[in-house]
Amino acid sequence: MKEFIVHFPVLAVMVLFLGAFLAEIFGFRSRIARRVILLSCVSVSAAMIFALIPAVFLRGEVLTYWMGAWEPAAGYAIGIGYEIDALGLFFALLVVTTFCLSAVYSLRYMERDRHLGHYTTLFLMLCGSVLGLVLTGDIFNLFVMVEIMTFAAVALTAFRGSSHGALEAAFKYLVIGSIGSGMTLSGIALLYLQCHTLNMAQLSAVLSGGLTPASVFALGLMTAGFGVKAFLVPFHTPAADAYTAAPSSVSMVFSGMVNKAGVYGLIRLVYTVFRAMDRESLQITLIVLGTVTMFAGVTMALAQHDFKRLLAFHSISQIGYVITAVSLGTVLGVSGGLFHAMNHTLFKGLLFLCAGAVYYAAGTTDLDRLGGLSKKMPHTTAFFLIGAFSIAGLPPFNGFASKWFIYQAAWSRAVSTGNFFYTVVTVTAVIVSVMTLASFIKVTQAVFFGQLPAQLSQVREVPLTMRIPMAVLSLGCLAGGLFYPFVSETLLAPAAKAVFTPSVYIDAMMGAGTAQAAGVTDAAAAALAVPGTWDPVLWLILLVIVLLAFFLVILTGEKTRGAVLDDGGQEDDGRYATFFGGERALPSHVSGSDLFWGFRKNWDGYFRIAQGLHSGRVNDYASYAVIGAVVLIIVIFLIFGFR
Amino acid sequence: MMTVNYLTAAVLIVLGLYCVISQKHLIKIVLGLGITDYGINLLIVSIGFNLGGTAPIYTLSDLMNGVSPVYFVDPIPQALTLTSIVIGACVDAMALALVIMIHRKYKTVDADEVRRLQG
Repeated sequence: MKEFIVHFPVLAVMVLFLGAFLAEIFGFRSRIARRVILLSCVSVSAAMIFALIPAVFLRGEVLTYWMGAWEPAAGYAIGIGYEIDALGLFFALLVVTTFCLSAVYSLRYMERDRHLGHYTTLFLMLCGSVLGLVLTGDIFNLFVMVEIMTFAAVALTAFRGSSHGALEAAFKYLVIGSIGSGMTLSGIALLYLQCHTLNMAQLSAVLSGGLTPASVFALGLMTAGFGVKAFLVPFHTPAADAYTAAPSSVSMVFSGMVNKAGVYGLIRLVYTVFRAMDRESLQITLIVLGTVTMFAGVTMALAQHDFKRLLAFHSISQIGYVITAVSLGTVLGVSGGLFHAMNHTLFKGLLFLCAGAVYYAAGTTDLDRLGGLSKKMPHTTAFFLIGAFSIAGLPPFNGFASKWFIYQAAWSRAVSTGNFFYTVVTVTAVIVSVMTLASFIKVTQAVFFGQLPAQLSQVREVPLTMRIPMAVLSLGCLAGGLFYPFVSETLLAPAAKAVFTPSVYIDAMMGAGTAQAAGVTDAAAAALAVPGTWDPVLWLILLVIVLLAFFLVILTGEKTRGAVLDDGGQEDDGRYATFFGGERALPSHVSGSDLFWGFRKNWDGYFRIAQGLHSGRVNDYASYAVIGAVVLIIVIFLIFGFR
Repeated sequence: MMTVNYLTAAVLIVLGLYCVISQKHLIKIVLGLGITDYGINLLIVSIGFNLGGTAPIYTLSDLMNGVSPVYFVDPIPQALTLTSIVIGACVDAMALALVIMIHRKYKTVDADEVRRLQG
């Protein structure tokens, strides 16, 4: 067993790809075969990844695997290697958690669709590629995995071709994604030109001799390329469309692991391969990118009236948090960023599943046509509230814990450097969090509370197999907040340590002493700082008291709330009566677009420009991506010099 | 000699991206992506090329008889290019399939009209 465990990383990837082929052959007609293949492949793969936890996280080993046992000869990596350190395994755990839950959820959620054999194939290909991406130690293998990922993701976006906008979303995703992949590939080619190797550990060792202009260019290209995969502004435009148009089980996979793949690539690139984060100007560049992403994402979300599109923009915004925190270059910042990445996987997955449940039950995700579903779908409402509290950063849920890390990391940089920029970043992060809360109050009100439209009176709660993944994610959200010291010690500390010790990564792959010979030195081993002084249990008690107070108010209130609206008629519509009639106001439903109307009115100019920029034209989106990449490359050249 | 290759690669990449940004016809956008891809492929295959080098193919008897492999072109970029070509062909095929389906549903292939998702 102990011997065999070295094969687990590669087998975990292979079993998924094998399943993809089997699903196409046997799952074409038989529903049972399809389900058996899907569930057995994802569970076997997940079990193999979980079996690596003791070695990597508890014993601190770095596992390596050379395909076909082609080990390095004369200091040169001649084969394709897999390398699993704590950072890679951390992301791999996110990946397997996401796809297992999504697979269970999709059993019932997708049952009304046709061609489910193809769905299973594409889904398993997507899972296998992202898992391979975070485990591989070879940069060209990484590119191939990125391409398979994009390819499967585009096809899954277009899977419900008849739904609104699925095809055009897929086309835009394909165009922008290909531009990003092209930039990554050119960067890899230039790196190979400079270093004559494709192994990331060896690249890191060779690049310690200093960056030539070609390697600087490669850094710029690849940063932009992974920025596209992580959907940072200005590369985020296809994400909003794709998350909206894809089936919810796939949207969960997108926001849970596909954009995490971009985040992982970016971290691996700037910290391990180029080890360029000791330059404060590069940190600031990436922080600016992250801050702009989180602000633009959340403001665009405020303007949405489709449930899933709103979640998509929040997803973009939360990735902004992750990138900002990770780019701070401190241990606290990196662990906060990784923690937030993990929490984002949990709560955004949960929210997308809730959106899927609403779609499954009510047949629409348009906020203006929903309302009052809490009476029909109590469990989904409870899960949604947990997800909404988590993403909005309310204690004691996990979103609060990781955002607290991030605020603290940004603020401690502001204090230690005295640079006003970090203060702005901290304040922006807090403001974005408040706006996230506002946006989710809107969704909660528009979908689950208020009046139930007459046409939704037949809605029923979703099946059990759809509720189980939501329940698991909800528990994860709560556990991440309540037991964050445990999470921080067992998962985040080793992963953050792996980010800051590239020499361990190099030595594990290329043989001990390689890093020292190449002159690679690790950053001073800083102990993981104690994250704040807040006590989750106290916050939980406070929350319970506040909730009890709310319930008291509700229970003593008028009993006429929650009546079914008679029609959606124009003249008798209760919501206008309050403003124009002068008669006794009936309890009326405030729909999603009407809430925060005043706030949006004040920012009218900004929203008009921002919504105008999201024009839906693929040419515009491509030009943002190209201009963004060119600017990023120029900035990186200015930082490192043309020499 | 190699400068020409690199320049051509750069020109192709820029032309392809320009095509993607400026053309409204969806099939022309796909063609633009293809041109970018060709530019990148040219770049990679040029990286491995050595002027006057031989093919990197040696039989065991060559090696035993002292035909020493001293000066040959780098085979790895060729393998990379091959992979990249295959991926590029798949991407193009999928993009064209999507264009056909968009045409069926929207009755147009003009990028200005295929924009139901916006804002």
